[in-house]
Amino acid sequence: MIADAATVIAPVKARRSAFERRKLVFPWILLAPTLFIIAAVVIYPMIYSVYVSFTPFNLLRPETFAFDASRMFRNYERLLEDDVFITAFFRTIIFMAVTVNLEYVIALGLSQLIARVTWGQGLIRTLLMIPMMFAPVLVGFQYAWFFNATVGLVNNALMSIGLMTTPKAWLVDIPTGIFSIGLASMWMNIPVTTIILLAGTLSLPSEVYEAAEVDGASAWQQFRKITMPLLQPFVLIALTVRSLDVGRAYDIVRIMTDGGPANRTEVVWTYVGEMAIQNSRFGLASAMSMVSVIVGILFTLYLFRQLMKSRVVQ
Amino acid sequence: MLTHAVRPHGRSRQAIYNLVAFAILTLGALPAVWIIFTAFRPASEVNTTPPVWIPQQITLDAFASLFGLNPNYAAGVPVGDYLRNSMITAALSTGFALAFGTMGGYAFSRFEFKGHRVVFLLIMLSRAVPGIALSLPLFLLLRNFGLVDTVHGLAFVYVAVNIPFTVWLMDGFFRQIPRDLDESAYIDGCGYWTAFWRVDLPLALPGMAAAGIFAFLAAWNEYQLASLLTRTPAAKTFPVGLYDFTSQFTVDWRGMCAMSVLMMIPAILFVIGTQRSMVRGLTFGAIKG
Amino acid sequence: MIRKLLLLVGLIAVLGISAVAAQDSEPGYAGLDQRFDGVTIRMATIGGAPYEAIYDTISQWEEASGATVEIVFLGDGFEIDRYLKTNYAAGTVDFDVAWNHTSFMTQYVDFVEPLQTYFSEEDLAQFSDAIIASATIDGNLQLIPRHADISGMHYRTDLFGNADLQAAFEAEYGYPLAPPTTIDQMYDMAEFFVAQDAVQYGTQFAGKEEALSGRYYELLVANGGNYFDDAFEPTFNSEAGLATAQWMRDLYANSLIPADTPNLLWPEVAQNFCDGNVAFYLEWYGWYSYFQDPNSCPAVAGNFGILRGPVGASGDIHTGWAGAHAFSVTRASENKEAAASLIKFLTSEAVQYMEAQLGVLPVRDDVWARIISDASASGVALDAERLQVAQEQIGSDFFTPPLFADWISFTNLWTPILQGVILGDASVEDGVAQGVDDARSLLDDLGYYE
Repeated sequence: MIADAATVIAPVKARRSAFERRKLVFPWILLAPTLFIIAAVVIYPMIYSVYVSFTPFNLLRPETFAFDASRMFRNYERLLEDDVFITAFFRTIIFMAVTVNLEYVIALGLSQLIARVTWGQGLIRTLLMIPMMFAPVLVGFQYAWFFNATVGLVNNALMSIGLMTTPKAWLVDIPTGIFSIGLASMWMNIPVTTIILLAGTLSLPSEVYEAAEVDGASAWQQFRKITMPLLQPFVLIALTVRSLDVGRAYDIVRIMTDGGPANRTEVVWTYVGEMAIQNSRFGLASAMSMVSVIVGILFTLYLFRQLMKSRVVQ
Repeated sequence: MLTHAVRPHGRSRQAIYNLVAFAILTLGALPAVWIIFTAFRPASEVNTTPPVWIPQQITLDAFASLFGLNPNYAAGVPVGDYLRNSMITAALSTGFALAFGTMGGYAFSRFEFKGHRVVFLLIMLSRAVPGIALSLPLFLLLRNFGLVDTVHGLAFVYVAVNIPFTVWLMDGFFRQIPRDLDESAYIDGCGYWTAFWRVDLPLALPGMAAAGIFAFLAAWNEYQLASLLTRTPAAKTFPVGLYDFTSQFTVDWRGMCAMSVLMMIPAILFVIGTQRSMVRGLTFGAIKG
Repeated sequence: MIRKLLLLVGLIAVLGISAVAAQDSEPGYAGLDQRFDGVTIRMATIGGAPYEAIYDTISQWEEASGATVEIVFLGDGFEIDRYLKTNYAAGTVDFDVAWNHTSFMTQYVDFVEPLQTYFSEEDLAQFSDAIIASATIDGNLQLIPRHADISGMHYRTDLFGNADLQAAFEAEYGYPLAPPTTIDQMYDMAEFFVAQDAVQYGTQFAGKEEALSGRYYELLVANGGNYFDDAFEPTFNSEAGLATAQWMRDLYANSLIPADTPNLLWPEVAQNFCDGNVAFYLEWYGWYSYFQDPNSCPAVAGNFGILRGPVGASGDIHTGWAGAHAFSVTRASENKEAAASLIKFLTSEAVQYMEAQLGVLPVRDDVWARIISDASASGVALDAERLQVAQEQIGSDFFTPPLFADWISFTNLWTPILQGVILGDASVEDGVAQGVDDARSLLDDLGYYE
């Protein structure tokens, strides 16, 4: 073992200090594979992107990869002048804020409801999880089909019951285009949020409620005073995960409208994708990514602080 | 059974809860039901005004064309290849993300080490970076290791994508396990690793099942990175293969529905398979009561 | 001039040969006269049902040459473009023969081998002169065309032949109702058919991506304008440019085209016509057999005709935005001779004849002659007529998008602005002005004016 001498002299103390020392090392051992993979898959590409964002790099012109200090901020100047980007940027933030909050309210209600259901829990969870099994690509196709002006179910149904006489171009008009995308995205994501909140709800200690019951607290009071505070870490986890995902809600938008028509439903990532892949303007696209990633990071930082605070309370 | 937070008040009120819950969830599942119905309809029932709500006839035509068994369509799609690739990628990445993520979550839930918050934050933030920003450098990186267009390369990337969420979930689950259990294990002479392995991990298994479902579905459904890092049936996954037919789907909506159903089957099987542990995972907090 | 003359000489020579060949009436192969033993040719090309049939003939070339062919990538137009781009950009080209296309070729110029050294004038004699000319950039032949596509005016014979409608139209517009031959007539007739409730939409066009900026482009050219002048200065804020945008916007504002126009792409517009919802529109020839099939399109099968594209305000230029699928040899290839030989084989009369029989439009005169003669025997007059119209269009009206490497970037920039104009988000003047500004700054960034 570590030191026989130490064992002889002060066995308990030595064991304790070796134990304490390992306490410093052990978490790093646990974290090593995670950190390695994240360094390779996220951090290295990020460094690359930061560099490229300061060059005029065009995918099809290898010579543009070179760095030119006099033009290094050109991409950032360009994006500030780009109305489409700026509109898409704020549209993304609003879209995120609205869908995530709506999802949260609905999921909170659903989770409280499901937690109270006494029969068919298995069936109800299966029903709940059905939308989760559809890939975003599929959800995009499906909702594009439902809202299709010529053959879509929504128009067919509304016209056959006489609520409409001429087909409506849901995905073209303002604001139904972005609403349709929001609906598709919420349909897909509410189950995830609900499950996290449900898991949280079911894990709350029942003694607290029993005590509250004894004190004569109403259901609403229990919800406000006990459930909500105790659920806080789960709420924050769900919100954080979803916010970041909505920021990346690329597949659905790409398939339903691809940001169009006339950039009416453009979000940051469809625009960046178009710049990077179709237009080959990787430098500019990287600069746009950077700006968006930084905003995402700030937002995550905010949620993270909240999460830490709620943990201290707990 | 009802050891959790909520207790019913009276039978009639409980019945209303049950009914309302089922009504809402059934409503929510309707679009999916419509997709499934359409996959089995004859072409004449698709896109009609007024809609044919309940299929009058069941046919497997759409599936036959998908597999190239319909003489009207020239070539089938290598559905078998896509299925295999998706399975391998999802299984590999789920396994590793779960193993590493559980270790990471445990580290954060039990130890106050230097840089605890910074590292946790770093892992969290890594999820904020979208695939499109990573695509080209990742392509170049994988190329250096000969991993472009391989399921292993894709699985490696997915591990990173799934780790943050797994770490979060597991961190939360481990926090629910009373620390006293570890303390008593240490007093009994267990090392950290033994305490983790023998005491906490078995209690966290249901939580891992829940995290596993999320990781599996995320890998199974991912499109953006897969579309950039795979290119042939040797590694293309379902969502990418699916996109092959976009031009066809813009008219052949029934074919799209059939493909969706096909793609959902393994996901459903996996979820049903883990449902029991998932339920235990979800109600896990009750154990300590 | 000398080139033309040489071509003419070559043409005469080949015509002489093919006249002899025509007697035994077997279409000829090419590229089967050289041995490349042990060589492996790798190919990245376009996939999908109509394109893949000719790849089955490759075994003949393998047998004759002793080489092996490996197809390393098959994907649709979008995918193959992305595949080629990422490989060209990353320097990971491990294939010898690559797909190419007249609308995409300018992006690949640095990565494909000039082909004039591998193909003699004689080899090229049968190919459409217009296509070969437009595929030659700075004297370098970028590609060997495989088949082409151009849009003809598809119209419903039942509507145009209806005596009541004819009378009503003439009474209102002062000229007889006949399939439109000018852009102005298109508007009149679209308006008329919709007002008469004869059909849901008078006309239509695909309203997104390159489909929209391309359609606008050919109308613009027919109206006497163009996107750019020779110095790549954007010029579509001309009268023709404004009029073309206004024309599209008016069609939309008055519901003469589908409400979801900006979300329509090729398959959707074809489906609209197939379903009988549209009186006439410009459409590619590729849908012909689909439209003629009474099982898939009962509303229009046997019920439509095809005409040359309309002329616009220019008075003599017909619409004719066109493209040709093609093959190229990559610059990275280590077996360029063999790769060129494979392309010779794939674009030979016999293989092209086989492909043309599947319904695509050929680019070789000898193949045209064969398929028109075949179609004359079918008993459906339109079968041969449409080929004659198509050949005339490809011969006289064929023009590619502006030849600069950033055409697709330009369409990505211009399409959303044009969509905004059509939808009424911006006025015609503002939209076009913005398009011109943005186009100029894009090209400026890319160093076009240095």
